[in-house]
Order: sequence, then structure tokens, then C-alpha cells
Amino acid sequence: MEGPEKQQTLGDSFRQSRKEFWFMIGTWVAFAVWTVGYNGIFASEVEVEVELFFGMPKWVFFGVAAPWAFALAVTIWFALCFMEDTPLEVDESLSEDGGGDK
Amino acid sequence: MTALISFGVYLAFVFALAAIANRAGKSRSFVSEYFLGSKNIGLWAFAFTYAATAASGGSFMGFPSLIYTHGWVLAWWIAGYMVVPMVALGLLAKRLNQVGRIAGAITIPELLRRRFESAAVGNFATVLVVFFMFFFLLAQFKAGAQIMATLLDGIPVYETAVSAVESAKDGIPWVGKADGDYLLCLLVFAVSVIVYTTFGGFRAVVWTDVMQGIVMGIGVIIMLFLCLSQVGGLANATRQVEKMTPPEFVTLELAPTKSEDINLRRGTWLELPDDGGIVRIKSAVSIPAKPNGNVEVEAIRITTPEEIEKVSRLVAFERPVSVALKGEPVPYAYGAGERGVYTRAPGPSKDNPAGFLGVMLALSFFAFWNFSGAGQPSYMVRQMAFQNTVTLRRSMVMVALYFGMIYFPLVLIFTSARVILPGMEIFPDRVMPEMASTLTENAGVPWLAGLLVAAPFAAVMSSVDSFLLLVSSGVVRDIYQESINPNASEKQIKRLSYIVTVVVGVLGVFAVLYPPQFLQDLIIFASAGLGACFLVPMVFALYWGRTTAKAMVVGMTTGGVTILILYLIGFLKTGEFEEYLLLGMHPFVWSVILVTPIMVIVSKIGQPPSETLREKFFGRPNLH
Repeated sequence: MEGPEKQQTLGDSFRQSRKEFWFMIGTWVAFAVWTVGYNGIFASEVEVEVELFFGMPKWVFFGVAAPWAFALAVTIWFALCFMEDTPLEVDESLSEDGGGDK
Repeated sequence: MTALISFGVYLAFVFALAAIANRAGKSRSFVSEYFLGSKNIGLWAFAFTYAATAASGGSFMGFPSLIYTHGWVLAWWIAGYMVVPMVALGLLAKRLNQVGRIAGAITIPELLRRRFESAAVGNFATVLVVFFMFFFLLAQFKAGAQIMATLLDGIPVYETAVSAVESAKDGIPWVGKADGDYLLCLLVFAVSVIVYTTFGGFRAVVWTDVMQGIVMGIGVIIMLFLCLSQVGGLANATRQVEKMTPPEFVTLELAPTKSEDINLRRGTWLELPDDGGIVRIKSAVSIPAKPNGNVEVEAIRITTPEEIEKVSRLVAFERPVSVALKGEPVPYAYGAGERGVYTRAPGPSKDNPAGFLGVMLALSFFAFWNFSGAGQPSYMVRQMAFQNTVTLRRSMVMVALYFGMIYFPLVLIFTSARVILPGMEIFPDRVMPEMASTLTENAGVPWLAGLLVAAPFAAVMSSVDSFLLLVSSGVVRDIYQESINPNASEKQIKRLSYIVTVVVGVLGVFAVLYPPQFLQDLIIFASAGLGACFLVPMVFALYWGRTTAKAMVVGMTTGGVTILILYLIGFLKTGEFEEYLLLGMHPFVWSVILVTPIMVIVSKIGQPPSETLREKFFGRPNLH
């Protein structure tokens, strides 16, 4: 079955995946705080005439559109620079025949 | 008619792709190919199948109707999608694919069964997938039928067919009371999707997803361009929306003023006497000639002077009908008479005196879109199918660009729709196809409506096909092959897969003959249920070797029961299919809060899993 080297690779890739998992959770928290925090304060303000920014209410721009653009940049950086490639085929003999745990 | 032709061409492409997919998969193992495309889905296919499945009928029918009904606050409601491509796609994908390969699993229940070496975990997961996924199917069938009905409305051949269906269905139990036009469209839609899904399997679903994803993206961009040019720019639209006040819900009493039968179409505008304003009726009515009497119909009364003036300029009100209000008008519970309510939070609400979106609910949805998204088996099964992690990383970039291109522009389009199409609160789920028809007619390119309507139709189809496969794989692979007949031949499995896909589709059609008003209600219930049952348990299964089979069953049960109880309380309190927001938070958030500690406790107090099992899925501990 799996040799020692193969298992070590699996362990390393698991730890890398876990690191990426926590980075994603952290990113979610950061954007949730920005969006919900900013809009929680500014989105319900009653104004005589709503202030516009690029044609949309100002709170939509700074509370949704701007963080959305920033989140896009973070996602691209994460996918292309932070996330590591991992061998997925741990053992060819286990992948197609219904599993090695029979 | 031209719209219908371009729509027909689109459908023909879908069937052609299914046929090609069927041929391409013939040389491979049936089960792996039919349910998982032989696990070799590449970059474009993976990115688009994920995006197209995510952008379901909810995104293109339910979401626009909510934007139209509640205004700019929907930008906040959907804001969680800014990190969905990273979180929902990345949180589990790499580990899921790896563990799936180690386990040799094709379905999610199968993966769980082998990960924990427990039939109970696998069987329980199958039951949950089939149960909640069925609600998804219902919502998508309804959406598909509605889009077709709008597209075909007024075409003579179609009207004849509807009349034929109307007379044929009379007397048939259960079916007899369904609307003829809805029933006809539902049948045509369901048969189309069932046929190509059954014929082509997972590969056809993925390939059609790619095409449908492209159609959706192009459709939204064209709509945005047409919409902003016709409304005089976004700033102009927002200024007009700012002046609007929510409509009132009324009941009308209609009586003929001449001795002839009167037929009024759904959505007909009428004028109330003595400057009582203008109203729009919810359903088609036939008013018998004098002296037979009056007919009652539900309607909305427009309350914004600028909208009244606009409609009055465009519509001729003279009809041989006298119109009178019956009873008192029902105003919105929040926002009635308030200018600016459509441009700020919490947004107007028909039922909720606190408005549409409070801060806690906004936070709940920010969590919901990401984590419930990550916990959907229909996405998970795709995450088991990509070729390698390069595909995953690049797909994440593509999906991020794609979602940015779709969701935020939809908010711009459908807040502007309030200016272009007044009075759509009366049937909000139809705003997307109506908008497509109106924009293209105004622009003098009616044939383009076919492509634009194909966008939501594509979204619906790409979701239905995935859900059909998921439910049938649950029955065939996880119940029949695992528990009833482990030695079934490929021929038997193949035949059963086809039969189950068809039977599930047919059951879906019967169940959705009388659908609830808001599509989004069904979709959110099913998403929440699946997310609650699978997200936290799957995170534990993939990232914590100490998790036990017992903890998995307890975790999935706690998640599902939390959702069901909070929906039941919501139903008992409001009499409608609605969730109960305990402390202002969505039931899904409560499920995560409850399931996480419970799974830790149950795992800790139970017998730890064997070292062999841990090494198999997590590797050896790092001794360095």
C-alpha cells in the first residue's frame, strides 16, 4: 500500500491545506467586519437627498463595491501566489476501483 | 417570435452538447463517468460548472425579484459573494478532492462512508442529500416554467396549446387545478432537462454548464448596457428610485359597464374612479356580461406620483369595466409613504415592521453565502472532479471575475428596473424575463430577448441537471449499489441510473404543480438545510483526524434539526414558509454555532478512530 515517502507527502499537503483553510477564514472575517461594520453605520442614514458615488448611493460604493474590488484582488493573489500545488493522486490503485478499504 | 427562434437555437445547442458528451464518455467506466465525469474535469469546465451551478434560478429569477422589491439594500444582502470564490470554492476543495481520491469515492455520502468506515454515516448523508435537494429541484422547475411562460406569452401557437392543455387537464386528480400555461411550460422544461441529463450524465451537465455560464455572462453584460442607456445612466435611475414609495395591496371589485363578456389579462392597468389612483391586477380575469355580476381580483395601487404620471402617459385605461376598491388597502409594514426607502437600509418590507435587512441578518447572509455555499453537496461533488490543483487555483480566479461580473451588475440592472417597469411588485418573480423583453423591444432588437431570457433559463437548467444527478447518484450508488446489490453489473447500474433520473424528475414535476410564491424561500431553505447538515461535519471530516463516525451523525442531525425547527417556528408564527430569525440571525448561523461544539464534545468522549484510518487520510504526524 502506501510507502513512507508517500505518507509524508500526504501529511505535508494536509498541513498546507490547513494553513490555507485558516487564511480563508481570516479573509472572510476581515471582509465581513468591513462590509457589515461600514454599512451598519452608514447604510441606514436618512438624508434629504442621498449622496451618490459613481451613480450609486455612497454607502453602496464604500460598503459593497469597493470591498468587492479589493476582495477580487485578494482572491487572485491567494489563488496564484499563496495557495500551493499538491499531488492529489496519492495512490493510483485506490482511485478508480472502488477504494482500497474493502 | 424571433425571440422564440433564438431561444430554440440555444436549446438545440444544449441537446447537441449532451449527445457529444454521451459519445465522449462511452469508452469509460459508466458509474464514474455518469456521476463524476471520470474525475478529469479541466480548467474551463470546472470553473464554469461551479459558477453556473451556483448561479441558479435563484440568482436570475429570485434575486432580481428581491432587488426590485427592496431596492439598493440588496447590494448589502449579496455582498458576501465578494469572497465566495475564495471561501466556498477553496475551503474544502483541495482536501475534498484528495480524500475523495484516497477513498475512491464518487459521491459525497460514499466519501463519508469510506472516510469513517461507517455505513451509518454514508446512509444518513444520502437521506439528507435526497431530502433537501428535492426542494432545490422544485424551485428550479418553477423558475424554468415561469421563464418559458413569459417568453411564449401571446404567441398564437402557444395560446392554442395552452387552451388544449386547459381542456385536457380538467378532471385529472391533482393536475386539474394547475394553471394551463404554467403546466404546459413546466412539462416542456422538465422533459428537456430530464432527457439531456439522462442521456449525457455528468459530462453533459458540465459541458452544458460551460455554455450556459457563457450565455449568462454575456446576457448580464448586454442587459446592463441596454438598461443603463435606456434609463439615462445609473445616477438618474438612483435619483428616480429615491423618490419612490412602496405600493399598497388592494382587492378590487370589477363589474362590466356593457352587456358583453370582458377578459382582462394578468398585469392589466386600471384607473380607480375619483382620482383614486392606478392599480395593476395580479391575475387574468373573465367578467361575465351584465347582469351576472362582479368579480374580485387582487391588485396593487401605485403610490408614487412620478410613477402614476409615467404609467398614465403609456397606458390607455379606457375599458368597459367599473373598478371599485373592496376593503381597506394594505400598506407595507415598513417604508409605506417614505421617500428614500429604496436607497437605504433596511429597505422596505411588506411584512416585517423592522424592514427587510437588519444588521444581524446582513451578517448572517454574509456567512450564509460563503459557508452554506461551501457545504452544498452539488458543489462538493464538483470539487471532487477537478484534475489537479492548478485547475483549482486558476478556476478560483475565473470564478471570482465571473461572479463580480454577474452579481453586482444584477443589482444595478434591477434597481433601474423599478424605473423601466413600474408595478412589478404584483408578480416579482417575473421581473427578469419581463425586463429582457422590454429592454430589447425598446432597443429595436426583439430577437435578442431570446438570448437574454436564455441566461436565467441556462442558470435554471444548469442547476436542475446537477441536482437531478446528485439525487439519482444518491439512490443508485449510495443505496442500491452499497446496500442492496453490491455486485450489480454495469448494465444494471446503467439502466437503474437512467430510470431513477427520470423518476426523480417526474416526481419533481408533480410536486411543483402548486409552488409557493417566492422562489427564493425554497432555495434558501434547501441551501440552509444542506449547508447545516454538511458544512461543519465535512470540515471536521477533512481537517480533524480525531473526528468520529458518531460525531458525524450527531453533527448532521443537529444541523438538519436546527433548520427544521426554526422553519417550523417561523411557519407557526407567520403562517407562511418562512424561517424564524432567533436574535435576528439566520437558522444556518445557529446550526454552525450549535454543531461545532457538539461535534468536538462527541468526538472527544468517544473512542478515537484507528491510527490506520488517520494515517490513510491525514498522513503520518510530522515529527520534525
